[in-house]
Amino acid sequence: MRGKVVRMLLVPVVLVAVVLSGCGGPATEEAGPAELPDKIVVGCLEPLTGAHAVFGTEAKIGMEIAIRHINEAGGIQSLGGIPLELVVEDAGETADSARLGAESIISKHHPVAILGLYISRLTVAASEVTEREKVILIADALVDSVTAMGRQYLFRPAPKASQHGASAVQFVVEAAERTGVPIERIAILNEDSSFGRSNATGAMQAALDNGLTIVYQKEYPFDIADVSSIVNEIAAAQPDVVVHCPYFMDAILFANTFRETGEIPKFISGMGACGYTDPESIEALGETAEYYSNTYSYNPAKDTPQNRRFVEDFVAETGHIPTEAAGMNYYAMWVLKEALELSGQLHPDDPLNPDNLRDAFLQLDLTSGPAVETYPGDRITFTETGDNPYAVATIMQVINGEPKVVWPFDAAEAEFVFPRPDAKY
Amino acid sequence: MKIKATTFNRVLLGVVLAIALVIPLLIRTNQYNLVLVTTVLLYGVLATAWNIIGGMAGQLDLAAFAYLGLGAFTSGTLLIRWNVSPWIGMILGGLVATGFAVLVGFPLFRFKVREVWYALTSSALVEVLKVAFVMWEDVGGPVERYLPYYSFSLYHMRFGTYIPYYYIMLAILVIALLVNYRIGRSKLGFYLRALGEDEDAAEILGVDARACKLKALMIYAFIVGATGAVYACMYGFIHPSFFSGARSTEVAILGIVGGMGITYGPLLAAVILVSAREFLRASLGGQMESLYLVIYSVVLILIALFRPQGIAVFFQDAYRKLLSRVTGDEHVLKANTPGI
Repeated sequence: MRGKVVRMLLVPVVLVAVVLSGCGGPATEEAGPAELPDKIVVGCLEPLTGAHAVFGTEAKIGMEIAIRHINEAGGIQSLGGIPLELVVEDAGETADSARLGAESIISKHHPVAILGLYISRLTVAASEVTEREKVILIADALVDSVTAMGRQYLFRPAPKASQHGASAVQFVVEAAERTGVPIERIAILNEDSSFGRSNATGAMQAALDNGLTIVYQKEYPFDIADVSSIVNEIAAAQPDVVVHCPYFMDAILFANTFRETGEIPKFISGMGACGYTDPESIEALGETAEYYSNTYSYNPAKDTPQNRRFVEDFVAETGHIPTEAAGMNYYAMWVLKEALELSGQLHPDDPLNPDNLRDAFLQLDLTSGPAVETYPGDRITFTETGDNPYAVATIMQVINGEPKVVWPFDAAEAEFVFPRPDAKY
Repeated sequence: MKIKATTFNRVLLGVVLAIALVIPLLIRTNQYNLVLVTTVLLYGVLATAWNIIGGMAGQLDLAAFAYLGLGAFTSGTLLIRWNVSPWIGMILGGLVATGFAVLVGFPLFRFKVREVWYALTSSALVEVLKVAFVMWEDVGGPVERYLPYYSFSLYHMRFGTYIPYYYIMLAILVIALLVNYRIGRSKLGFYLRALGEDEDAAEILGVDARACKLKALMIYAFIVGATGAVYACMYGFIHPSFFSGARSTEVAILGIVGGMGITYGPLLAAVILVSAREFLRASLGGQMESLYLVIYSVVLILIALFRPQGIAVFFQDAYRKLLSRVTGDEHVLKANTPGI
C-alpha cells in the first residue's frame, strides 16, 4: 500500500519536472529584412456589450466603412497595396474585461494597431497591455489624462475633452463678438465623471484666457433627479452664458427646468458631445431643444468628397448620420493608413515594426487627404504625448429642430443663433 | 490493495495544487491565457471568501466589490501618496475593509436585518461607496488615479507579466480555502450553518447570531479587501467604478451556483463559469455582440433548474464514485459529509 501512495505522490513531482524541463527560452527570431504579410491586421477593441455598447457599436461600423474605403482605394500603396483587415473584440464595461479583451485580441491576431476603447477607464486598463506589447493604440477616449500617462504607443487624433470645453467657450466668445452682445460672466457646469471634469477644466482655462469671470461652477452626479436648486443658484449668479457638460438624461432635466423657471441666460452651450443636440435628446425635448448647442469630435456636415461618401455609406447601412464615435474612428483609421504609408517610405526594411510605425506617427503632418477631409480641424500632427495640438471640436446648434453645424464659422452649414431669443437676463 | 480515503484526498489535492503551480509555466508565452487564469483565480478567491458569509451563514451578501474597492483604494492611495508597498497595503486594505464591515455589520445584525433586507442593504452599500468616493476628492474623485508603472518591481507589486499576480492570487486562494475549511470544521462553522438553515431555531439553541455573523462578515471582508490591493496593482489604477454592483452580484452568483457552504464549490463555479463566459466573449463577442451573455444566462438557468444545490454536488457524486472504486469502500457513496 505504501508503495502505491509514494507512487501517487510522485505524480505532481514528475509533472512539475516534466514541465520545467520543457521551459527553455522563447525561440529567437531570425534577423533580416522583414517579410511583409499579405494583409495588415487592425484591431477594433470597443465596448460592444454593457452600458457603453451604443458607442462601441457605432465606432465599429465607422471602422468597417473606413477599412472598406481604404481597401477600395488600393490599400497601403507604399507597401505594395497591402489591404487592411479588421478584427473585432468586445471590451465589455469594466477594467478587467478591457484587459482580457486587449490580451485576447493581441495574442490571437497580432494587430499592428488597435482602435478603441471610447471609455477612458477601459482605455487606461488596456493601454498598459498595448504598451507592453508595443501595439499602437489609437484612442477615441477623450479624457485628458489618457495621454498624460506617458504612454509611448498611444495616439489620439480626436480633440480631447478639454479642447471640447475650450471650443464651447471659444464659440460663445466669437459669437458674442460677431453679434456685438457683450459677455463677461460665465457659469460652468459638469457631470461628475472624469470626462465631465476634463471638459470643465478646458472651459475654465478658456474662460480665463478670454478674460471672462467665472461666477458659478458646479459638478453634480450624472444621474441627478432634480436640478431646480442648481438652476436657481445659476439664476442668482446671473451669468451671461452657461457652459455645460451633461450626460443624456441630466441634459433633458436641465433644459426642462430652465424652461419651466424661465430663468434663461443669454446662451447655454453644451460641451462633450452628450445630450442636447443628438437626435434622441431633440425628440425627448421637442421645442425646448431649440438653440441649445454642443461640441463634437466629428463634423458630419463637412462638405468634402470623402466625408459625403462616408456619410452616404453610413446612412445606407444604419439609417442615421454618423455619430461622434463612428466619425472619430473613421478618420482615425485613415490617420493610421497615412502613418502606414509614411512608415513604408521612411522605413522600407521594416515598416510594420512598432517603433518605426510610432516614428511615422510622430512625423505625420496632414493638411489634406481623406483623414483631414473628415476631420473637424484642418491639420493632423502628433506631439510626443500623442495628442493633436491643432484639434478643435465642431459645434452643432439645434435650429428649427435640426442639429446644424455652426462653428467653426468657415465650416458652418447654418448661421448660429446668439443670444437666445428667449433669454431673460 | 486498497488505500485509505484520506490518503486519496491528499494525493488528489497534491495533484490539483501541482497543476495549479505549473499552469503559468505551461502558458507563459501567452499573456492572454495568463490573464485569463489569473482572473479565474481572482473570482475564485472572491467567491470562496463569499462562501463564509453567504454559503455558511446564509446571508445573501451583494457587497463583495465594496470591500474590494476599499482594499484597492487603501493600498493604491498608500502607494501613490507615500510609496508604501502594496504588500503592506494589502494587510492595511484588508483591515480597512474589516473595520468598515464592523461599522456596517454591527448595526445590521444588531437590528436583525437579514434575508432579503440584508441583500438589499449590502447592494446599496456598493452604490453608496461609489458615490462617496467620487465625491471624496482627496482619495477618489472622478478621474482615474494611476499607480506608478514598473515592468518588474516586487516592492511596488507591479509586473509587466501576469505570472507573479497569478502566484499571489493562488496564495491568497489557498489561504482562503484553508480558512474556509478550518471554519467549516470549527464551532463557528457549525453555528454559521445552523444560522444559515434557520436563524430563529439556532438562536433558541443558544447560538449568538450577532457575534457569529459579524465574525463571518469580518473574515470575508478581510480576504476580499486584501485581494483588492492586488486588483489595483494588476490593473494599474484606482477608480470609484471599482465599486461595481454588477460584479458583486456575480460573486454571489458564483457562490450560489457553486454550492452554498461547500468549501471548494465557489472555486469550482469560478473555474467553470468565468472561463466559459470569457471563452464565449472572446469567440462571439466581436460578431454577435450580446449573444454570449444570452448563452451564459441560459447555462445559469439550467444549473439553477437541474442542480439547485450547486455544481459542486454534481462533482461530489462523481468524486465519491471514484473514491469508492479506489478505496473499495461502499460507505463513501452514502456519506453525507462534504467530500473535501
